[in-house]
Amino acid sequence: MAYTTFNRNEFDTFDQPMFFGEQVNVARYDQQKHKIFENLIEKQLSFFWRPEEVDLTNDRKDFIDLPAHEQHIFVSNLKYQTLLDSVQGRSPNVALLPVVSLPELETWIETWSFSETIHSRSYTHIVRNIVPNPAVIFDDITKNEHIVRRAETVTKYYDEFISLSTLYQQLGEGTHTINGDSVSIDLRDLKRRLYLTMVSVNVLEAIRFYVSFACSFAFAERAKMEGNAKIIKLIARDEALHLTGTQHMLQIMARGKDDPEFATIAEECREDVIAIFAEAAQQEKEWAEYLFKDGSMIGLNKEILGQYVEYITNQRIGALGFDPIFEVRSNPLPWINAWLNSDNVQVAPQEAEISSYLVGAIDSEVDTADFGDFDL
Amino acid sequence: MSNARKAARIGRRRWASRTFHSDAQTEMELTGGSTTQLEMDLGELPLPVGSSAVAVTPLIHEPQEQVDFFDLLAESPEPTPQTIFEGMEKPVFAVSFADGRTARFQHANTLLESFEAQNIHIEYQCREGYCGSCRVRLQEGDVHYTEEPMAWIDDDEILPCCCIPTSDLKLQ
Repeated sequence: MAYTTFNRNEFDTFDQPMFFGEQVNVARYDQQKHKIFENLIEKQLSFFWRPEEVDLTNDRKDFIDLPAHEQHIFVSNLKYQTLLDSVQGRSPNVALLPVVSLPELETWIETWSFSETIHSRSYTHIVRNIVPNPAVIFDDITKNEHIVRRAETVTKYYDEFISLSTLYQQLGEGTHTINGDSVSIDLRDLKRRLYLTMVSVNVLEAIRFYVSFACSFAFAERAKMEGNAKIIKLIARDEALHLTGTQHMLQIMARGKDDPEFATIAEECREDVIAIFAEAAQQEKEWAEYLFKDGSMIGLNKEILGQYVEYITNQRIGALGFDPIFEVRSNPLPWINAWLNSDNVQVAPQEAEISSYLVGAIDSEVDTADFGDFDL
Repeated sequence: MSNARKAARIGRRRWASRTFHSDAQTEMELTGGSTTQLEMDLGELPLPVGSSAVAVTPLIHEPQEQVDFFDLLAESPEPTPQTIFEGMEKPVFAVSFADGRTARFQHANTLLESFEAQNIHIEYQCREGYCGSCRVRLQEGDVHYTEEPMAWIDDDEILPCCCIPTSDLKLQ
């Protein structure tokens, strides 16, 4: 029951569910129950980038020239994104690794978390370049009430799950008395919490980041803070991949593809899922209000950003097989798509960094059709 | 050389010999005017600084000096069977949406590109099959993925950013 770093049991990996089966032993990738996670790992590795690749010297000048209310928008978004990636850089590892049962999924979780640490590093890179003293910005993250309020909902599901799952690993199922408090641990309840944690992570990646993305790209549309936008583009590309990862996990669970109990749990939790999405959308709209409290920026205001939040919420919840929860049908910020597609401005590897350029890779796939024009 | 390819080459030659006539020459042929007349006409136009009537003369080519660019390219490899299907129509498929919009898929790399060229707006993001933004429901027909889709899609959904149709399609 207790977590072991190398499980000595012999078992068939194809019989294991994604979570709460046998603990992983050999990190082997020759047998894969869910090939998608291997594909995600490969894609994420091909996306590797470093913040220092992006030059931000012009952003410093742009930032100084921005009016005060736009500086507020820019810095606040940066703080919020720093919070989100601080959470995401550790939580999937801490929460999910002790209960994961498939080597390819284990590695995907590690790869996923690692790429979030690059995002965190890039915020420090940006902050260092735009203000003389980065501490002014970072120290405010834990003090700013608007950020703290949202930090609570972002971390709530993770923290509750981690606390119970640790007890489960140490003590197993049953009712235990810990420091005088009675705690009952039930595997089904843990699975339910895991499912809701995944939904909350999905919301974080799918909705919460996008208000900041929209603002960064709106600055860049006016040729302001373009270095920042280039970094955000790389982050958005990674987040789209992470989002696909959590959508796959949620769908494998909801369809009971490897653990039928998760299918019944997912069915029971439908209302909770809708509530989590609706709450996140509401909070993001309130955030937009806070961002624009001293004035809007060209191309964006709180109404249009609110519509965008509703639109993106509909898109994301639709991907999980739910009906849309808002009226909005079309994208109120269609120009964002061009920014979210990270390959559109790049020409050739030697001229610019092609974002999906896989170093040292060759296409080794040969089909019989490739020999179609061979004559002997 | 097959008839189809010959026809293609002859077609190109005709096009070449037509386009490489200079405009000035065509005008001379039509009006029956002389070179002198042309120089005079040009002389009345405001010439850019640094240019002179002398610079104009080389513009008038003799017909035999024309170069057929496709002869210069004769060394380049023959079109492969993948690019020219002899005796076969290039595949064209009709695509219809439940809301009545229609499109024709032909000569496009992906279904999404084909829609965009025909002013049919589809949400997109990554254009590589990993984000799932372009998800649409397929009611009838089949598609072939040119790149393995990574985003989660239901059994009846397709990602237009990385597929091409292999039959007529009905989408929702």
